[in-house]
Amino acid sequence: MNLELSDEQRLLADTARAFVDRHADDADPWPAMRDTGWAGLLVPEEHGGSGAGMTEFVLVCEALGRGPVVSPLIPSVTAALALRWAGTPDLQDQWLPTLATGAFTGTVAVLEAGMRDEWSPAPMSGLGALTGTKVLVPWVPDVAVIVVVTSEGLRVVERSGAVRVHDHDPLCAEPHAALTFQQAPAERLGSTADSAVVLARVLDYNAVARLAYAIGAAERALELSVDHATNRHQFGRPIGTFQAVAHRCAEMRADVDACRYLAYRAAWALDHDADAAIAVTAAKSFANDAMRRVFLHAHQVHGAMGFATEHELHRYTRVAKSFELSLGGTTRHRDRLATEIGLGSRP
Amino acid sequence: MDFEFTEEEEAFRTELSDFLDAEVPDWWQGMFTEDERAMPFTRELCAKLADRGWLTMAWPPEHGGSGASVWKQAIVREEMWAREEPRGPQYMNLNYIGPLLMRFGTPEQHARFLPPMARGEVIWCQGFSEPDAGSDLASLITRAEDRGDHFIVNGQKIWTSYADSPADWCLLLVRSNPSAPKHRGISMLLLDMTTPGITVRPIDTMAGPHEFNEVFLDDVRVPRDCLLGGQDHGWDLVVAGLTFERTGIARYARAGRVIELLVDYANDAGLGDDPIVRDRLADLYTRYDAARLLNYRAISMQAKGEVPTVEASVARMHNTQLEQAVGHVGLEILGPTGQLRAGDEWAPLRGEIHRYWTRNIPSTLAGGSLEVQKNIVAQRGLGLPREP
Repeated sequence: MNLELSDEQRLLADTARAFVDRHADDADPWPAMRDTGWAGLLVPEEHGGSGAGMTEFVLVCEALGRGPVVSPLIPSVTAALALRWAGTPDLQDQWLPTLATGAFTGTVAVLEAGMRDEWSPAPMSGLGALTGTKVLVPWVPDVAVIVVVTSEGLRVVERSGAVRVHDHDPLCAEPHAALTFQQAPAERLGSTADSAVVLARVLDYNAVARLAYAIGAAERALELSVDHATNRHQFGRPIGTFQAVAHRCAEMRADVDACRYLAYRAAWALDHDADAAIAVTAAKSFANDAMRRVFLHAHQVHGAMGFATEHELHRYTRVAKSFELSLGGTTRHRDRLATEIGLGSRP
Repeated sequence: MDFEFTEEEEAFRTELSDFLDAEVPDWWQGMFTEDERAMPFTRELCAKLADRGWLTMAWPPEHGGSGASVWKQAIVREEMWAREEPRGPQYMNLNYIGPLLMRFGTPEQHARFLPPMARGEVIWCQGFSEPDAGSDLASLITRAEDRGDHFIVNGQKIWTSYADSPADWCLLLVRSNPSAPKHRGISMLLLDMTTPGITVRPIDTMAGPHEFNEVFLDDVRVPRDCLLGGQDHGWDLVVAGLTFERTGIARYARAGRVIELLVDYANDAGLGDDPIVRDRLADLYTRYDAARLLNYRAISMQAKGEVPTVEASVARMHNTQLEQAVGHVGLEILGPTGQLRAGDEWAPLRGEIHRYWTRNIPSTLAGGSLEVQKNIVAQRGLGLPREP
């Protein structure tokens, strides 16, 4: 047991922090991010990636959340994971090297209108060419490859005129779109049975990456809250000298720390294939609630200024809420966890 | 990062756990019950642990220990606390009274006090809190007058666990210099509890009669060779000791065990499919998981030789509130009969959850209140300004 980062991991985290300091305000940080090699962290070396682990990717995502740096990194890496685990050698050769360098980006289309969450069965048929509409797909204009969840398993769709894009204006800063497929040619990604296993893993990885990004945002919100509580004076003293304010900050610290170590442990479990389901679902369900508490405190400490978009707090609040609403709500994950810890009907 | 114990550590856990399963009787529910078998049992068990070298395994070899890694120590704490600490009062000696003596004591004090602790033969209590010195511990007024080769002590201590066990010795905090600033005029004395002038009065509590005591001190004579550390420098020892104490208890381990009991109970009662019961227990599990990981973070820092002051307070915030939540949810799942105590044949889970809820009412107070922990995190951890 050792919860300290290794020297290499610390260096990676520092590099990512330095990147965020330089590029947080770039209109498009992707060209700079391509040079970092992060898009290939989870792609094996034989396909042009660096074959690192989820822990490394989590450290990068956590740093990016502090910006927040808005980029297609997480969806593109998630698409690469699906191709890595379920793609034929041809599909892997076609897509993994370019996804690993970031020359192309990918995304994963899961949700459709009427689905409760990403874990619900997808109505879209996977028989033949794809027809139908996916919503809330992480999107940038030059996405080249889309992994699509259908009722017959995963499919790969190359970007073409058969995919119509309607941009959303969602809660979070990351651009999202509704994609309407009209007889879009699609390739099978694994058998129907394999697909279910691969999809569950893809969603787990995606949830932990999104969690790390939200933790970065929460840490930044805590820093802003401490700054504000230190510098804002009322009644002739810094408001942070009032315990009612200071204790909110202490509770934020305690919640962010808990989320961070739950996320690190989930990443470790994914890397080591050790009780990953229980680790991911515990992290997601704890963090869903913890993020609410953290941002409730952050807004309360900031007063009305935190509601004004000229202050930066709202950007982090959006990251956290978007995380909570994605990849399974608290109730769903607690139900999954209840089974994992042994609750069930007795014969 | 590594979230696994080593094979050797797991083997040690199995060995210890098998031993405890064989030795700890069914009736054992911790020290603070009215069961008269408790004290003889814990003395006997500690002697057996000492024989196996497990009692002081965390201590350095020069004091009779085996210098076990912090992770093996964590395993001992988890296995003990999950079973309601069958070492009884001894865990205080091992976790921090012993280490304080090692760090601040003279060679004569080492020779005199450490060997009986290592054999598990001696009971210590801690005389810190006073009626008017709780969270503001440094305002204590129990007075020790310097009479050359001895001190004369007058005053009162309160919330003293184990004083009526009866304790053999007391780690006593006194005001030795009333004219110095409040943190600079405190000393720590090693008080023989058989000294004339000491009166112990048990305080009846919600958890039973043996949890706490008041200790009255009237012209109690303490020889100078029982001063621990520098005269008027006792506060340094308090700070060091409280840091040892905050991660010295694996509170989450008992909470985890109680959650297991509740999962079995819910399944047996046909509640395993009840969505609300499932939601509540899964919530407790995530909080247990978080509390455990935050303790492991503090221990990882100790393994590197760092002192995790703020991190220990963060862990404590999670652990103590977890304990209370487990008690509340547990009783909710049990329903009305959850009110029945141990010994009542209709008490579900032998009254265990009732007792767990009761004894954790003050868990957010002991060893520094929740509010004090938050102050530590806010001021020392986040650098927020102090109150004027």
